[in-house]
Amino acid sequence: MIRNYIKIAFRNLNRNKLYSTINIGGFALGLSACILIMFYVTHEKSYDTFHEDSKRIFNVFAKTNISGDVIRMNSLSSVAAKMIEDKDPNVSSAIKIKTEYNPVIIKNPENQSQFSETDLVYTDSNFFNFFSFKLINGNPETALERPYSIILSENLAKKYFGETNPIGRNLSLRIDSTYTFTVTGISEETPSNSSIKTDLIVSASSLNTMKEAFYDMRSQIFQGGSFQTFVKLKDPEKVAPVQRSMNALAVQGHEESTDEYFLTNITDIHLLSRESTNVKYVKIFSLVALLILLLALINYISLSTARAGTRAKEIGVRKMNGASQRSVAVQFFLESAVYVFISFLLAILFTILLKPWFFSLVGIQIDSSFFFDPGFISTMVGILVLTIFIAGLYPAIILSSYQPIETLKGNFGNRKNGAQLRQVFTIFQFVVAVGLIISGIVIHQQINHLRTLDTGLSRTDVLMVPLQNTMDNSQSVFREEVENLPGVRKIAAASLPMYGGTNMYFVDDKNSDGQIPLPILATDHEFIDALDIEWSIPLQDENIATKKNSVIINEATINKLHLNPNPIGEIIVFGNSQYEVVGVVKDFYYDSPNNEIGALAMFVSPSKEFSMDFGEKSSCLFIKFRANANVSSIIKDIEGLYKKYDTENAFEYQFMDEAFDALFRSEMRLAKVLNVFIGLIVLISGMGLFGYATFSAQERKKEIGVRKVLGAKVTQITYLLSVDFLKLVMVAILIASPIAWYVMQQWLQGFENRTVLEWWIFAFAGTGSILIALATISYQSVKAAVANPVKSLRTE
Amino acid sequence: MIQLDHIYKWVKSGGRRVFLLNDLSLHIEKGEFLSIMGTSGSGKSTLLNVVAMLDGFDEGEYYFEGEAIHDLKAKKRTSIFNENIGFIFQAYHLLDELTVYENIETPLLYKKVKSSERKALVADILDKFNIVGKKDLFPHQLSGGQQQLVGIARALIIKPKLILADEPTGNLNSTQSDEIMKLFKELNEEGVTIIQATHSENNAAYGSRTIKLLDGSISKN
Repeated sequence: MIRNYIKIAFRNLNRNKLYSTINIGGFALGLSACILIMFYVTHEKSYDTFHEDSKRIFNVFAKTNISGDVIRMNSLSSVAAKMIEDKDPNVSSAIKIKTEYNPVIIKNPENQSQFSETDLVYTDSNFFNFFSFKLINGNPETALERPYSIILSENLAKKYFGETNPIGRNLSLRIDSTYTFTVTGISEETPSNSSIKTDLIVSASSLNTMKEAFYDMRSQIFQGGSFQTFVKLKDPEKVAPVQRSMNALAVQGHEESTDEYFLTNITDIHLLSRESTNVKYVKIFSLVALLILLLALINYISLSTARAGTRAKEIGVRKMNGASQRSVAVQFFLESAVYVFISFLLAILFTILLKPWFFSLVGIQIDSSFFFDPGFISTMVGILVLTIFIAGLYPAIILSSYQPIETLKGNFGNRKNGAQLRQVFTIFQFVVAVGLIISGIVIHQQINHLRTLDTGLSRTDVLMVPLQNTMDNSQSVFREEVENLPGVRKIAAASLPMYGGTNMYFVDDKNSDGQIPLPILATDHEFIDALDIEWSIPLQDENIATKKNSVIINEATINKLHLNPNPIGEIIVFGNSQYEVVGVVKDFYYDSPNNEIGALAMFVSPSKEFSMDFGEKSSCLFIKFRANANVSSIIKDIEGLYKKYDTENAFEYQFMDEAFDALFRSEMRLAKVLNVFIGLIVLISGMGLFGYATFSAQERKKEIGVRKVLGAKVTQITYLLSVDFLKLVMVAILIASPIAWYVMQQWLQGFENRTVLEWWIFAFAGTGSILIALATISYQSVKAAVANPVKSLRTE
Repeated sequence: MIQLDHIYKWVKSGGRRVFLLNDLSLHIEKGEFLSIMGTSGSGKSTLLNVVAMLDGFDEGEYYFEGEAIHDLKAKKRTSIFNENIGFIFQAYHLLDELTVYENIETPLLYKKVKSSERKALVADILDKFNIVGKKDLFPHQLSGGQQQLVGIARALIIKPKLILADEPTGNLNSTQSDEIMKLFKELNEEGVTIIQATHSENNAAYGSRTIKLLDGSISKN
């Protein structure tokens, strides 16, 4: 019996090629998109869950209050981990990790090969006990015990030592000074869902004797510092008492401490990081995945009910031949299972084909082993079962309940079976499609708005080249040679590149005893001019800016520090030194345009010999090109010069406008991904409409025939058939527009600078969807309209 | 075998009753071959549907082999139908996506007959109807007469006591029509009770008895 059903399912599939393609193809496409998104979402949510004790591992962070501003500290002093482990019996163990963010130069002394690496971590010897990272080679208990031990990932080991065994061999690491480390272990590659990178691990005991680490290691009390600190609790419920112990430890070290300490479970770190764009992403994507799956499902059900008319006779015949309602229902479930199963197989194929492209689109890397994650597989199986059930439910229940004699009398076609349901479905699909088209346009508009924003300085044709201290004294020679290149119009320097964050200093508040954090930027005297920053109160004398103890501020600083509206001559106190305000520039964005423009103090260095006050080590050149310059050849020239003066660090550069655009990278990525999904949703909705139009035309074959015999023209029939669908689309537009308007208005609230929601966006999306609908249904309408009425009116 | 006593069946139209069957009484013996004649709308099909228990009636009594059908629940009626009656349609109503063999096999599948037994039964009937060579063809590959042969074979596969045929030759030409009628005659001689509705005097003549319907009543016996 079951074999009989499956056989029939496949024959039906083959006989109705159009129906099968729309139904199964569309469903597979939707599923595949859903699987990819699920994959991404599950991966994001699975961060750090692979640690055996993940439920008991917590990351410590602190909130500290500096004159009203609450600042979050993610790192603690070097002794904090040990102190809390000793103090609170709820803590079974603790560990500290320091990440070296500057590039480290690694040399294999045997063959003098040299590499520049980032993300080196220093950590305690219990690392492999505490976390569930695995060593391929080496003893996990002792590998990080001795100072100057280093553990490499498998790939890095190959890179430095080729196929030979690296254990016990030496590597020299240049951090600031150069040290010799001994390889004591090879680690597995870091899982893609780990927030701790483990390519290069160094024993934390090395820090005791490294002079770069002097400041990191100095503090002997429980306070903020340079070490990310994790604790493992005996009972994960004991978070509050441990937090109290940490607060008490902080007061023990420093009586006036108001620092508050918190524990975050390790599995939550990832989604809470990076200004919670991850959480936002995961939410939006989950919603989109759900919508896509829903639309694909709706297509399936809608088409199945539309086909009910053609299947009704079969059911009647089967019932006349002894079939019970139950056996008909079973048949439809089985048929649904067969189709859904084929869809799944196809979807898996699509997924495999689209995976690399999708991952590069959302900018993530996912281990392929994750495909076999039990959580992921069980979610997929869940979707499979649910889909079979939902997809089979409607046809099984409705179709199996038909009275056989009615369906065989042939008056079945007159019944508007499920027509209302199909109309609701169609409206829903187009509400989603139109709503997403509107959202897509608004997001695109907003990104354009941000990219073309007047930020108060000119960022076009400006190349930013960060200089490392490995260039040392040659910096000014390098600068001069670059300035002399043809095509270079101006050159300036500052302590940091733009849009990458600033340094903060604390200044005395005029109105209270407290201190106010103030972002600072050290520049050369060309900087303001070269980047076309405008003056609000210009310098009275060109040379006054470079005088010792002069400072230039922006307008926002006047409010922040409660200065006079004309602050020239006022004194700002930085620690022990006093600086006099000599000029005010208009506000310009030096950080993300998603935030208000903050206060900024600029110190202008007196000479081209770019030496910084405030102990700045690094610097960045701003090279402005002539408008007609051949950019790529100049960059090549600059790179040539750079390599002459810095043999160790790689030449890096970034265009200033690209750096600015990168500030809303997550929005751009969202837009890109959304574009694809909007396309997909429009496609699925279109397929659904096409299928619906096909069956509607079939259903009305007789009516069309009669009308034609009575003299209706092809155009009139086409209009008749199209107008019903257009009405549905119009209703969808009316429903979707206000919803999209509201949602996008909310979304735009998240931006400091926002675009205006203009009426044409809605008009465009509306017209677009009407055109799509028209194109979709016109084929069937015209085909039905030109058909010969003699054929359609002939009875059996 | 069949006893219909004062059967009424009506539909309401504009507040008035329109009678489909009007005080119809009919007695059919086992082994009869009854032809029902009448114009379109005279109630032939309605009567067949009532006899087949596919359609209800509003008043009157119906006994099938002594069983009071008018007192039975739908489920029981369906099972009596499935056990005893084979139905043959004017439009054949074969399942398009099944082969000849599979079409004939379908009622046996629903009766949960064992595979080996099914094979034997289907093979027998294919042989008897001389359509063994066509067993793997689909309905659209057959002529109308051949399709109706398959329809009859399918109705006979469950060895019904009664065959109901609603204008079985309505879509066939006269040669095909005569062949089907000869087959009915043979089946009747083998002991199957047959009731057929027909327009054609010629076909009616194959039957052992003919009744004429007019506006839902028997006008001539």
